[in-house]
Amino acid sequence: MNKVYFIATDKLSFLVERLRDNYTVFSPAAKPQNYTKEVDYSFQKTAAKDTLLFNPYRCVEPLKSFFTLAKEKAADYFACEDNLKDLGQVIIFGVKSCDIQAHRIQDFVFLEGAAEESLYRARRENTILISSDCTAFKEVCFCLSMDVLPHPTTGFDMNLSPLNDGFLAEIGSEKGQELVNNYPEYFAVAKDTQIAARLAKRNNLIERLKRELAPKNIPPTSIQQRLIKEGFSLDTWSQFMQTCVECGGCNLICDTCHCFLLEDRKSAGVNEKVKMWDSCLYANYARVAGGANPNKMRAQRLRFRFTKKFDFFFEHLKIPGCCGCGRCIEVCPGKIDIREVLKDLAKKLNLAQ
Amino acid sequence: MKNIYKPIEGVLENIITESSKIKTFVIRPKERFDFKCGQFIELTLPGIGEAPFTPSSDPAVKEKIDVTIMNAGKVTSLLHNSPKNISLGIRGPYGKGYPLHKFEGKDVLIVGGGVGLAPLRALLFGLFADINKYNKIVFRYGARTAQDIIYKDQIPVWAAKERVDWLTTVDVGDPSWTGHVGLITTVLNDLPIDMKKAVAIVCGPPIMMKFVTLKLLDLGFAPADIYLSMEKSMSCGLGKCGHCRIGKFYICKDGPVFTYEELKDTHDIWD
Ligand SMILES: Cc1cc2nc3c(=O)[nH]c(=O)nc-3n(C[C@H](O)[C@H](O)[C@H](O)COP(=O)(O)OP(=O)(O)OC[C@H]3O[C@@H](n4cnc5c(N)ncnc54)[C@H](O)[C@@H]3O)c2cc1C
Ligand code: SF4
Ligand code: SF4
Ligand code: FES
Repeated sequence: MNKVYFIATDKLSFLVERLRDNYTVFSPAAKPQNYTKEVDYSFQKTAAKDTLLFNPYRCVEPLKSFFTLAKEKAADYFACEDNLKDLGQVIIFGVKSCDIQAHRIQDFVFLEGAAEESLYRARRENTILISSDCTAFKEVCFCLSMDVLPHPTTGFDMNLSPLNDGFLAEIGSEKGQELVNNYPEYFAVAKDTQIAARLAKRNNLIERLKRELAPKNIPPTSIQQRLIKEGFSLDTWSQFMQTCVECGGCNLICDTCHCFLLEDRKSAGVNEKVKMWDSCLYANYARVAGGANPNKMRAQRLRFRFTKKFDFFFEHLKIPGCCGCGRCIEVCPGKIDIREVLKDLAKKLNLAQ
Repeated sequence: MKNIYKPIEGVLENIITESSKIKTFVIRPKERFDFKCGQFIELTLPGIGEAPFTPSSDPAVKEKIDVTIMNAGKVTSLLHNSPKNISLGIRGPYGKGYPLHKFEGKDVLIVGGGVGLAPLRALLFGLFADINKYNKIVFRYGARTAQDIIYKDQIPVWAAKERVDWLTTVDVGDPSWTGHVGLITTVLNDLPIDMKKAVAIVCGPPIMMKFVTLKLLDLGFAPADIYLSMEKSMSCGLGKCGHCRIGKFYICKDGPVFTYEELKDTHDIWD
């Protein structure tokens, strides 16, 4: 069982004030209302005296944008020392459970396998993730359908659960414990009644989200891999693809998508490799020399996205490559909805409940 | 900590013209560089771009590596037109390469087409280093025309070796060519091999690999005994950028050599 502390609301503000001396602090800021009349939140660098805002649900930007930038230098060559920009010591508030789940995938990609990416590693180590329980959800949220709870249980450094007069702070790592050790004056040991209150709030939100999701009939994780395998040749792909304008937004905003492209350039006489996010919805993504392209059709590209999420990641990590954050649903100008794609496959394969 | 995207420097010492579209680039790495036959590298034209290639030289030779490259697009055409003695970048080696130990005691059938001969030359050097371990090496090489045949001076030397049975065929004959004419699949009948203890290694353009694989299955080869060199779009070479994925595999990290057994349930492998 992780250690749990209590931190009063005003003390948290003082703590953040102090943290700014040693860290760059990012926390959620409210954005102007979006078209669905929901308030959106965005990770912003906070300045002195900014109050810490609690976001009831995830921010707009994917958490990955702190660890791999949309476009950045990945190497200098030849003779020169690498002059890569790490972001320094960073603390991020407002991380949600879906973001944490997505980071299991980003970590798997960049830290495991053939070799680890040193810049990603450095940023991971220099960053403290302070997550928090969701207290509401967006229309597009479907974390529960991906077996992700709306409160983090692991993978954070510290997790905050709002109570009436403050927050419970659960410690998830040594980095989280160090924060408490370095600023002990702000933390008190949590009482059993407070832990019980947290549980009640959590269960309440889960029940509300379940009720919201029930009529949506999103296929459960237990059959998702089967849907993709058996639905490989269905017309679902070409049907849903008709409104795709190939903007790549679904990939770029997705917190689990990690594809990138390396390009070479010369800048002030130095050769550089530049790494930028890429999208499997782009026509050139799989093109090989001579123009051959296994994903020539948009339908093939949409399917490629889904086989990666629901076949590849089940195969290698035993979890779907989707955390149910719904970002791709909000971003898509073609109104292509990942939940509807899964449902259509289930319906056509007679696997709908 | 090592930066996985940073290439080491090599000097382009020599450029050998193999055919109108294929040249071999001899590169002297400035740092020690080891590879196993069948593994590939990402070769950088500084400031311009990089592309994956399989070294075609003997892996036992450490001071130089040969890369045999077909002029096929942006990076390759600029390489074909570049002068000697420029610096090139090398990342790698990547991928798994050929499992030579699994070929021991077997009849080794090698089927190559086009620039697919490049990785197969490194494989040949690897096999020749310990030739007594293999029962025999049966090589079938297909080129489009006699002018497209590469490694012209070396083929007769290899073909004359003990335990080697070599045949070159061209798709389209001409008066200068006295050898076999016909598609590669036409020279796979009546092979001098014992199917019960043979392996087949295939490398060439996707369409050629497809029809050769179908033919080999037809001849009775087990899917687990057919080794294919897969090619897909690549960027990182390390299983991170996502580009080269087919099904549950990354070609760069899990291959580029796969048995047909591993791939037979994966969709669209030949596209
Ligand atoms: C494992 C492996 C081993 C290989 N070994 C050899 C070998 O030994 N010899 C040989 O001749 N060939 C080999 N090839 C093929 C060789 O890599 C290609 O011929 C080479 O990549 C062509 O590069 P190019 O820039 O000249 O061609 P281009 O057609 O200009 O570009 C080819 C690739 O660059 C990328 N690209 C270009 N433009 C874009 C864009 N706008 N957006 C996104 N991506 C883009 C794509 O990935 C595309 O597939 C091998 C390939 C693989 C995968
Ligand atoms: S696929 Fe869509 S819902 Fe799933 S993690 Fe990516 S952006 Fe979120
Ligand atoms: S966001 Fe929608 S329109 Fe844009 S590439 Fe993705 S599916 Fe296509
Ligand atoms: S080339 Fe990047 S994943 Fe294979």
